[in-house]
Amino acid sequence: MRNVVLLALVIAGCGGGLQPEPICAPSLVGLCGTLRFQGTIPDSTDNVFVAAYATFPQTCNDLIANRRPLIPSSVPYTDSVADYSVALAPDTYHWVVAVWKKVGSLTLTANDTTLLRVAGYYRDPADTTQPGVVTVPNGSAPGDINFLVDFDKLRPATDFVTCTAQ
Amino acid sequence: MHRAIAALLLVLAPVGAGAQGIVRGTVRDKDGSPIASASVAVRGTTLAARTDPTGRFRITLVPAGRVHLYAAAIGHASADTIVSLTGGDSTLVDFVLAAEPLALPPVDVISSRVPHFGERPSTSVADVTSQDLDRRALNTVDEALEHVSSVQMINGQTNIRGSTGYVQGLNSRVLMTVDGIPMNQGDRGGINWDLLGVDEIESAQVLKGAGSSLYGSAAFGGVINVTTRDVPNGLHTRLRLSGGGYGDPPHSIWRFRDEQGLLGSGDLAASYGDDVIGGRISGGYRHSDGYREQDQEDHLHFAARGRWNTANTRVDVSGAWADDRYDVPLAWCNRGECADSGQEYQPFRVDTGQLGARTDSKKSYVAVQSRTTLSPRFAWSARGSWFRTDFTDVRPDMNEYGIGNRFGLAGQIEARPDSTRTVVVGLEGTFSDVTSDIFGKHSQSEFAAYGQSEQRAGAVRVSGGARVDFLAVDGGSLTAVVSPRIGLTIPTDARARDGGMLRASVGRGFRAPTMAERFVHTFALGFEVVPNPTLRPETAWSFEIGHTSAPMFHTLRLDAALFWTEARDLIEPQIIQVLDSSGTPHINIQLQNVVRARIAGIDANVIAAPISGHLTTTLGYTYLSTRRQLSGDTTSGPLAFRPPHQITLSADYTFGVAGVGADYRFASRPETIELEGFVDSRRVAVNVLDLRASWTRGPVELRLLATNVLNYIYNLVPETLAPVRTVTVTAVWSH
Repeated sequence: MRNVVLLALVIAGCGGGLQPEPICAPSLVGLCGTLRFQGTIPDSTDNVFVAAYATFPQTCNDLIANRRPLIPSSVPYTDSVADYSVALAPDTYHWVVAVWKKVGSLTLTANDTTLLRVAGYYRDPADTTQPGVVTVPNGSAPGDINFLVDFDKLRPATDFVTCTAQ
Repeated sequence: MHRAIAALLLVLAPVGAGAQGIVRGTVRDKDGSPIASASVAVRGTTLAARTDPTGRFRITLVPAGRVHLYAAAIGHASADTIVSLTGGDSTLVDFVLAAEPLALPPVDVISSRVPHFGERPSTSVADVTSQDLDRRALNTVDEALEHVSSVQMINGQTNIRGSTGYVQGLNSRVLMTVDGIPMNQGDRGGINWDLLGVDEIESAQVLKGAGSSLYGSAAFGGVINVTTRDVPNGLHTRLRLSGGGYGDPPHSIWRFRDEQGLLGSGDLAASYGDDVIGGRISGGYRHSDGYREQDQEDHLHFAARGRWNTANTRVDVSGAWADDRYDVPLAWCNRGECADSGQEYQPFRVDTGQLGARTDSKKSYVAVQSRTTLSPRFAWSARGSWFRTDFTDVRPDMNEYGIGNRFGLAGQIEARPDSTRTVVVGLEGTFSDVTSDIFGKHSQSEFAAYGQSEQRAGAVRVSGGARVDFLAVDGGSLTAVVSPRIGLTIPTDARARDGGMLRASVGRGFRAPTMAERFVHTFALGFEVVPNPTLRPETAWSFEIGHTSAPMFHTLRLDAALFWTEARDLIEPQIIQVLDSSGTPHINIQLQNVVRARIAGIDANVIAAPISGHLTTTLGYTYLSTRRQLSGDTTSGPLAFRPPHQITLSADYTFGVAGVGADYRFASRPETIELEGFVDSRRVAVNVLDLRASWTRGPVELRLLATNVLNYIYNLVPETLAPVRTVTVTAVWSH
């Protein structure tokens, strides 16, 4: 038994194995930061994702077609704070937005706006009434792109762009 | 010539009925408990038997007079005795074997093709005993093989001393036999470890190093023979129930489900037999929720076996059928492919595009084999088998299917012309076919003849022989491959029966390309995989020299082997660029004979029993040094999926009716993987600790098994998570 105990101690000291990547991983090209959540999560919530736009969208079609990434993945939204990261091509992005998605299938058309609401967006630190502009350089990711997601203030796309469907 | 004919007539001549008798009896330990699967043999003859679960044995055709009997069992000192037998009579012999954990296990099943005198062969053999299987409460036998020194299972592909690597299940450089019958798939050449319920299996033996001179293709890197439970006399039933759960991911950001993942199984077997006939039927069901997303599995199996004994012939008929439906987590989710929580990869989750992928698989086999002892010096055996696999891969974008058959016929003669020589010769034929939308419709035939002889010269034993294989694909021309082999064993302590021994062997091995390798046409990693019908057999020369020490300080025994394999024409996937009809370049993957390789290393083992009768420990270490070189390329590097260092460590402590044990496995991080740069190259060392406990009282056994108790998260192949912590409780009732 002494052998077993010694072995267990040796192994416990080894650690290792696959580990979660840091949110702002050294290999990440894109954005990363922290989302703070407030409000009541709607029962119809499917997920929350972060997307970015190189130019501020003008129409509902822009909102869908110019979204990066085009098919975003969910961020954890059940805790009050969550780290996130989004892989993006190097560029300057003028709107970084957290999008709430209702349960339902997206079609990558303007009709998707019926399922989507703007839950929050990154703001200019110098003027928090305005969206913040973020540049993603080659080979790295700007960190600390932090902003608030408010489930009590989910805003339709028409608050920002011109849409025929909502 | 006349002498040869006279010798042949001598060994063929059946002993007159009045000059032979029957030896029957039991083999027990010092406490009077029966020892199952002990070997009992008449020295210098082909006459041998194994004990049943009640420790009984029966040997017919024993020549009258003074008979030299020998009994051996794993974990016990062997025993010899001489009895006097009157012609036409039967004699009762009861062996009592003392517990001796350092005793060398008796050579048994794999050696049915290796001529031998009951001692160890000239190549390395490792045993997975019934105790090894029982105490680990496993679901499939490959889970036990992982604890054998220098054996590594890589996502279902078997590596003995780094033989196979990993090629998406398209081949195997290790042959699996069930009771001596080859059972590699007809189409892919792979191994279905769950063909038989684990309760059907009594033990397994691992022949390390090239076995082609006896077993032909696929035995390029070794042989694993699975021995199924025999049918004992009397009525016996056995019920096995098992249940447990999987550990959660160790990091909350990797959680993929809210409920506990569970697994459970039930197996029932019943048998009846007497000295003439016997039969057993068994069946079982297993369900697993899986330890990762989309990993559910349902498995149903049935097996049956019958035996018929006459005075000098034994016929066995066996078969099994298994039906699986399992989800397929093809590869883990990389960033953007699923709800990745912002992670670069999610090892417990699959790509959203793979959701719904599963495989429906049915496999079955039927085998008949007989062994006739014509005289104490001459026996022949024959067998026929049919192994069928039928799979459908259900994928979100397309389905794939394949039906493969493997038919086999074989005959073998064993002769002992005198007390210093033993000879085995045989013929074997195999026909395989496949009908599949990814492999096409093809067939492959293999015909072989082999002969081996072992000669004793004083204490030294020399064995040698060769096998000739003829291969034909789709009825085309034959390709011939010759596989010679020579071996030598020299006792280093001739006075002791269980003393040390030097062994050396050199042989040539080969592996014919599987039909899957030749004709596969599918898509993988986003590339088109194109067929290559011109593939040639892989070949290799293998050399081994080893030493087994005599027991040292009455507590430990050492075994070490130096092995060296030089291989040519190894088949590996290559990235190739082809131009289509419009001149546009495309990147494809094709399997090609492109690699010259060297696999060398050390396989060292220590078995120790520091507290006699209570504590047994084993330690195995394997060092692999591999080099591959592409044809026409002067650069070289290590072979893919071969960890340079592997360690296995086991300890078992028994006290009365209870026991506890532990297994530890370590494999260093492989230096390279196939298609590096095209897949997620993330990989770490293997570092797995298993713990177990057991309690036995009368017909009831309870076992607790906790595998990967540290919940060490690792992968053996790209983007595929290896099993996490699993806790299982198993109850067995035997009657």
